[in-house]
Amino acid sequence: MTEAVLRLEGVTKRFGTVVAADSVDIEIGREFFSLLGPSGSGKTTMLRIIAGLEVPDLGNVRIEGRDVTRQPPYRRGVGMVFQDFLLFPHKTVAENIVFPLRMQGVPPAGRAEALGWITDLVHLKGLEGRFPHQLSGGQKQRVALARGLVSRPKLLLLDEPLANLDRELRKEMEVEIRRFQLELKIPFVYVTHNQEEALTMSDRMAIMRDGRILQVGGKLDLYHHPDLAFVAGFLGAPNVFEGKVTGLADGLAIIDWQGYPLQARAKGGLAVGQRAVCFVKSEKIELFAGTGQGRVDGVLRDAIFKGQYADYLVHLAGAREVTVSGPPRAELFAPGRPVSLSWSAEDGDAFPAGG
Amino acid sequence: MDVRTRRLLFLAAPGLAFLFVFLFLPLVSVVVYSFWRTASYEMIAEWNVDNYVTLLTEGTYLTFLWRSLVMATVVTAVSVVYAWPVAYLIAKHGGRYKLILVLLTAAPFLTGEILRITALQQILGPIGVINMGLTSFGIAPVEALMYSSTATGIGLSYLWMPFMVLAVYLSLLNFDFELMEVAKVNGARPLRAFIEIAWPLNRAGTAIGCVLVFIPTLGSSVTSQFLGGPNGALYGNILAHQFGATGTWALGSAMGVVLFGLSALLIALVVRVVGDFRRSGLTMSGR
Ligand SMILES: Nc1ncnc2c1ncn2[C@@H]1O[C@H](COP(=O)(O)OP(=O)(O)O)[C@@H](O)[C@H]1O
Ligand SMILES: [Mg+2]
Repeated sequence: MTEAVLRLEGVTKRFGTVVAADSVDIEIGREFFSLLGPSGSGKTTMLRIIAGLEVPDLGNVRIEGRDVTRQPPYRRGVGMVFQDFLLFPHKTVAENIVFPLRMQGVPPAGRAEALGWITDLVHLKGLEGRFPHQLSGGQKQRVALARGLVSRPKLLLLDEPLANLDRELRKEMEVEIRRFQLELKIPFVYVTHNQEEALTMSDRMAIMRDGRILQVGGKLDLYHHPDLAFVAGFLGAPNVFEGKVTGLADGLAIIDWQGYPLQARAKGGLAVGQRAVCFVKSEKIELFAGTGQGRVDGVLRDAIFKGQYADYLVHLAGAREVTVSGPPRAELFAPGRPVSLSWSAEDGDAFPAGG
Repeated sequence: MDVRTRRLLFLAAPGLAFLFVFLFLPLVSVVVYSFWRTASYEMIAEWNVDNYVTLLTEGTYLTFLWRSLVMATVVTAVSVVYAWPVAYLIAKHGGRYKLILVLLTAAPFLTGEILRITALQQILGPIGVINMGLTSFGIAPVEALMYSSTATGIGLSYLWMPFMVLAVYLSLLNFDFELMEVAKVNGARPLRAFIEIAWPLNRAGTAIGCVLVFIPTLGSSVTSQFLGGPNGALYGNILAHQFGATGTWALGSAMGVVLFGLSALLIALVVRVVGDFRRSGLTMSGR
């Protein structure tokens, strides 16, 4: 991370009994930063506080070092892209896009130049004279992005901007949005509940729940080294095993599950005798045809071919079903055949149960 | 005629019949009378345009028409300025009490026109609350409030305000208040956001409110009769006079036709100005 453009210090916001932001501290530099969390975790509230649409009960918001906590939104020089576009219906595409510049008093020549530049960047050339209701969803989203970026804001806030687009378009826009960030080098704060979007685009990300930031870090770091059970269970497509800790050594735990001694990294102050949940991402499990020593035995229920890889659904003891992702192998496309699983101890993460 | 057309006609028939009997027929008769003549309280069916010549050449009629136009314009403007914040607050923050709050602004209507005006007399007149209060503190009463055009203006604004509040409120029900936040994030101060977003997107509703206030005010007579004093007569008072004391019904009819023509003109103007529905925000949203 480069020097911080945005800094949140102990930001807290309550709505009645709901704590939408719970002493949040974040620093964001000239990077693509994602806030990832389930619906209702306080992501939108966080963006509204940064934009100045909401005043926190406690804590400070600093932009480029200046305390803006009590500054109204129109003084902050922040761009924002909303989930449902929120274009001005009575203004044309061009008028929508140059709106921030007009508010800043940029003369017409400067507005025309900026309009040309941004319509080029977001591929909206030729649509300048249309009204929002004459645009497709993807085009509306591009207009919203152009409006957010045209004045080169100090940072751009994006609140689930792709949630209303279909899958194909979403994939395309993910790449585009990332490209805008790299080209303009403006910090992007991107809010989503979709981990695929966050993992695709971000440099760093934060996982949120109940108004709290649980873990912040590089996306690979978060994905491979979760500090909390919630993070481990949220990212990727993890399989969960719950059992009793029977041994601890060198940061690794041995968990007794259905008679199998499973190994995983011990986290969250795990102790012998405690119950633990163990998360293993589906692509980190290795699948073998037939049973084998030191592996977990099971029966292949189904194999789902996805092209570059396949998802194998395996039935284990205790009516447990796990998903294993791996290269498609012809001998494994045989539902009903006995198989066995194993993974290296570093690929499992064990946390105290119920935490 | 196919089934669809017949069904449509069947559904529209009661409405059309109503309009024909109670709007079209009286209107036609007024237009016809306006080209006749009255002599000693009798209509004489002799076609002529003398009534219109009289209206245009005898300065008093134009003076009173001008007075009414100014009065209606001022009352409409006052209503817009006063009704907008009320409607805006109710639509935005009224929550589940919205409807009740809006209906409350129309509460004076529950009492009937004369009673409402009498009530205003009790407040504005020489023995009204305001002036009695001032006098009891040894301050001179406010002459402007006593039997004056100002009093008429206050009375008319008070009478027709609820229509403006209702029209703007109904328009705002359809308004996406989040757009105001979008404008502010994009650098618009509150007043600018209002001018750029809230006002244009509710132009049509406001225009309807203006028509609803302007037209009845233009033809009003009762309010000025009670509150306007001896020199406060409006076009409507003169018009009523033709059908009463002087019995010049033909001239009165011509005055009515002028009133109708002006109102129609106003409506046409409003439709022209706010008629570009792409710019009115009536038909679509930016989502
Ligand atoms: N204006 C508000 N009034 C009351 N509660 C609110 C308001 N805004 C948000 N909340 C509550 O705060 C919590 C977080 O909401 P939000 O920030 O919208 O979450 P997210 O965007 O992650 O879905 C939710 O429980 C929500 O109900
Ligand atoms: Mg949200």
